[in-house]
Amino acid sequence: MSRRPEKREKEKKQIKYFDYTLLFIIIFLVGFGLVMLYSTSSYNAQVKFGNSAFYLRKQLLASLIGFGGMFIVAHVDYHIWTRLSGLAYIAALGLCTLVIFAGAEYNGSSRWLRVGGISFQPSELAKFAVIIFLATIISKIPKQIGSLMTVFKILAIVLPIVVVVAVNNLSTAIIILGIAVCLLFVASPKYGQFLAMGGLVIGVGAVFIMVESYRAERLRIWLHPEDYEKGYQTLQGLYAIGSGGLFGKGLGESMQKLGFLPEAQNDMIFSIICEELGLFGAICVILLFLLLIWRFLVIANNAPDLFGALIVVGIMAHIAIQVILNIAVVTNTIPNTGITLPFISYGGTSVAILLTEMGLALSVSRRIKLEMV
Amino acid sequence: MLRYKTFNRKKTMTIFVAVILVMIFLMGRLVYLMVFCSEYYGKKAEDLHERERTVKAARGKIIDATGTVLAANKTVCTISVIHSQIREPEAVIAALTKELGIGEELVRKRVEKVSSIERVKSNVDKETGDRIRAYGFSGVKVDEDYKRYYPYDTLASKVLGFTGGDNQGIIGLEVKYDAYLQGTNGKILTLTDARGIEIENAGESRADPVDGNNLHISLDYNIQMYAQQAAEKTLEQKQADSVSVIVMNPSNGEIMAMVNVPEFHLNTPFELNYEVPENTTEEEKQNLLNGMWRNQCINDTYEPGSAFKIITTAAALEEGVVSVNDQFYCPGYIVVEDRRIHCHKRTGHGAEDFVHGIMNSCNPVFIDVGLRIGADHFYDYFSRFGLLKKTGVDLPGEAATIMHSKENIGLVELATMSFGQSFQITPIQLVTTVSSIINGGNRITPHFGVSIKKDDGTLVQTFSYPKTEGIVSSETSDTVRGLLEKVVSEGGGKNAKIAGYSIGGKTATSQTLPRSANRYISSFLGFAPVENPQVLVLVVINDPQGVYYGGTIAAPVAKEIFEDIFPYLGIPYDEKAAEELAE
Repeated sequence: MSRRPEKREKEKKQIKYFDYTLLFIIIFLVGFGLVMLYSTSSYNAQVKFGNSAFYLRKQLLASLIGFGGMFIVAHVDYHIWTRLSGLAYIAALGLCTLVIFAGAEYNGSSRWLRVGGISFQPSELAKFAVIIFLATIISKIPKQIGSLMTVFKILAIVLPIVVVVAVNNLSTAIIILGIAVCLLFVASPKYGQFLAMGGLVIGVGAVFIMVESYRAERLRIWLHPEDYEKGYQTLQGLYAIGSGGLFGKGLGESMQKLGFLPEAQNDMIFSIICEELGLFGAICVILLFLLLIWRFLVIANNAPDLFGALIVVGIMAHIAIQVILNIAVVTNTIPNTGITLPFISYGGTSVAILLTEMGLALSVSRRIKLEMV
Repeated sequence: MLRYKTFNRKKTMTIFVAVILVMIFLMGRLVYLMVFCSEYYGKKAEDLHERERTVKAARGKIIDATGTVLAANKTVCTISVIHSQIREPEAVIAALTKELGIGEELVRKRVEKVSSIERVKSNVDKETGDRIRAYGFSGVKVDEDYKRYYPYDTLASKVLGFTGGDNQGIIGLEVKYDAYLQGTNGKILTLTDARGIEIENAGESRADPVDGNNLHISLDYNIQMYAQQAAEKTLEQKQADSVSVIVMNPSNGEIMAMVNVPEFHLNTPFELNYEVPENTTEEEKQNLLNGMWRNQCINDTYEPGSAFKIITTAAALEEGVVSVNDQFYCPGYIVVEDRRIHCHKRTGHGAEDFVHGIMNSCNPVFIDVGLRIGADHFYDYFSRFGLLKKTGVDLPGEAATIMHSKENIGLVELATMSFGQSFQITPIQLVTTVSSIINGGNRITPHFGVSIKKDDGTLVQTFSYPKTEGIVSSETSDTVRGLLEKVVSEGGGKNAKIAGYSIGGKTATSQTLPRSANRYISSFLGFAPVENPQVLVLVVINDPQGVYYGGTIAAPVAKEIFEDIFPYLGIPYDEKAAEELAE
């Protein structure tokens, strides 16, 4: 795309663009997610709360809030975030610190802040904040990104939030770090240093696992889930996946969700999708996520400026990492770690913030200047 | 504003391609899990979800020779409550309290207990179960089950036996033929959630139960009834400890009746049939129950006394050491080595031939005959007649013969053995051995089991029992029958005489150990018709009060039974015999 000097001509030939494909995919994913969530959670909800729609109602409410957020953010010029990014980062850091001391405990880790009747997971906000914060910083110093020093400096800037989040929620910390690395990778003209960095991470990770017996145990559970009590969830997930077969048992027909697979509506929801919809349904879901990521690619590569592009790259990295890690965990391809499947797993904060994030991507898409050819 | 450069796009593309590659890998992983491992994981998951529920098979009936059902099944219900499904707890508590007749406190405890399923009462009869079902309460389960039921309750209780909670035989024929009667329980496979609650409408696969087969026995309800009534009357009149009666077909060993009064209640076998002090411990009570369940005809041994003279006679005739016309002299006692053994008639029978010796049941005559046979040979006859082995009757717990070892039989032992003392056998053993001697010399196996049939009458199996031929010659058999006829017609057994029927028999009176207790067992063994014995009866009265002579108290009982069953069995009335008797 070449820049046209005459403003008048440009205005004339410009077409208002909005990525309806992305919007459609998002709406479809959320809709599909709610159906699967209801199917998966109704039994647990009935048993625990005596109301089969308990989880569905909460998720639906969060989705509506999320769609509201998406609508607003999509209609606001995304450049406003350059000014808010520092604030957002500090706020997220503060909230994540707060949660360590004042968090509500659930399933052994305190990840929630409870204000009034609403509970809220700050680590989800942290991802969002890191995306806009890093996009802002990098887009301000694009020339220096090439130097390794700058890369480390920027990583050092996000390090506090990574550490704070990691206290309660290692998985999310890994995602944040992943997003940061992706942003740097895209912004930097170099490849070599990232390859080296990748190698270093793998090496350090290996040493880390060797040293900490807790990690090593996880590794053994991963290899032989049937031999360990802690491998129960993984194993039950595999039972669900395996019993799905090619076309699944049919929507609502999962057996594993009936208390065998604990908290099936959270991290393990993909295994219930496999059980009910089969290999066919599971691959459709993966393809849907690929379609979503492809839309981010298109928007990023056509974004009017570096900041917009980086925001979308950040979102893309966020979604891609989470989907990949979740499916890899569910299929026991990697050791178990708690990562939700975007839009589908139960989690109000997650779905609300994800939708707002989508609004950001849509907002960037609205600035794409198509020209009449 | 800074532009997004080409290298940025390339790198974004790189990320996208990397994502695609990883996703393809994950899809491959899914294909592996869901296609190639599908069967393995699917099976494991199914094992986890399936619960097996058994459907009880109906136990086979026990049917007598007339086709009367002696042991059947009754449908009973188990009432349970499922806490999570109960909508109207108060109404449920009220209804269950009313219908089940148990305390409201207990019902309330069960209904309000937070558990997946709680049994309120089992063994509830079907009508009550149906009434409870009719209320239509949600969360109240009425499960039907079978319970063993004995229509005649006490009839042949120690023969039939009873079953335990798991449909397993505990004593009697119920144990012996358990494998035929039991059947195979069916299975219902249902899907349940992780808490074990069945999922409604989930496709259930079931294996239907195979009902047990019916056992047809030779016992005859009518004969058993006659015998039991006669025995009960005697028990009461003589205030005896117990009265046992065996009615058997001597030619094939089919037992037509086996009575041991007092019988117990088969439908409540764990309740003693008499009062016990309240402070009886459980262990004592169990011992008393075991005693109550004993089948004296089979589980207990006794000294057969004079009835054994039949066997001594057979042995002597076989050995050829005596003929019916041999002359003996009874001074009232006989001296063997240094012992003086008395005849029951202290004044002595004087001069008599062998026929009168047996008619009088004269001990010195039989001691003499026994000594003529000699210890070695006598022992051999014991063995040849089958007295040393169990009879093989198809009831559990048959007692073995208590006998001297061969080398310990001195003259005194030989002398006492020859009139039925100093060793012990079971009543069934006596009946079997005598049958074998009078039926022409074929050692038969006493039994109840005739055949196994399905409920629709299809024959599954007919039982056959071992028979040893020629334990005595037919001549000996003839002679013994003739001698025993004399005993009834003119001798000690004349109280069993019935005009118009030829009856053979022998009385016995034995003193139980220790002799000082002055406790007696009176018995009479009789059979008819003499020429071709079709029925043999043994009456054993254990510890009667007052007169204890077998000829006086046991023979009339046998007579009473004979009178009842001869017409029933179609044993021909013999005009000539009746006339002879009249003369």
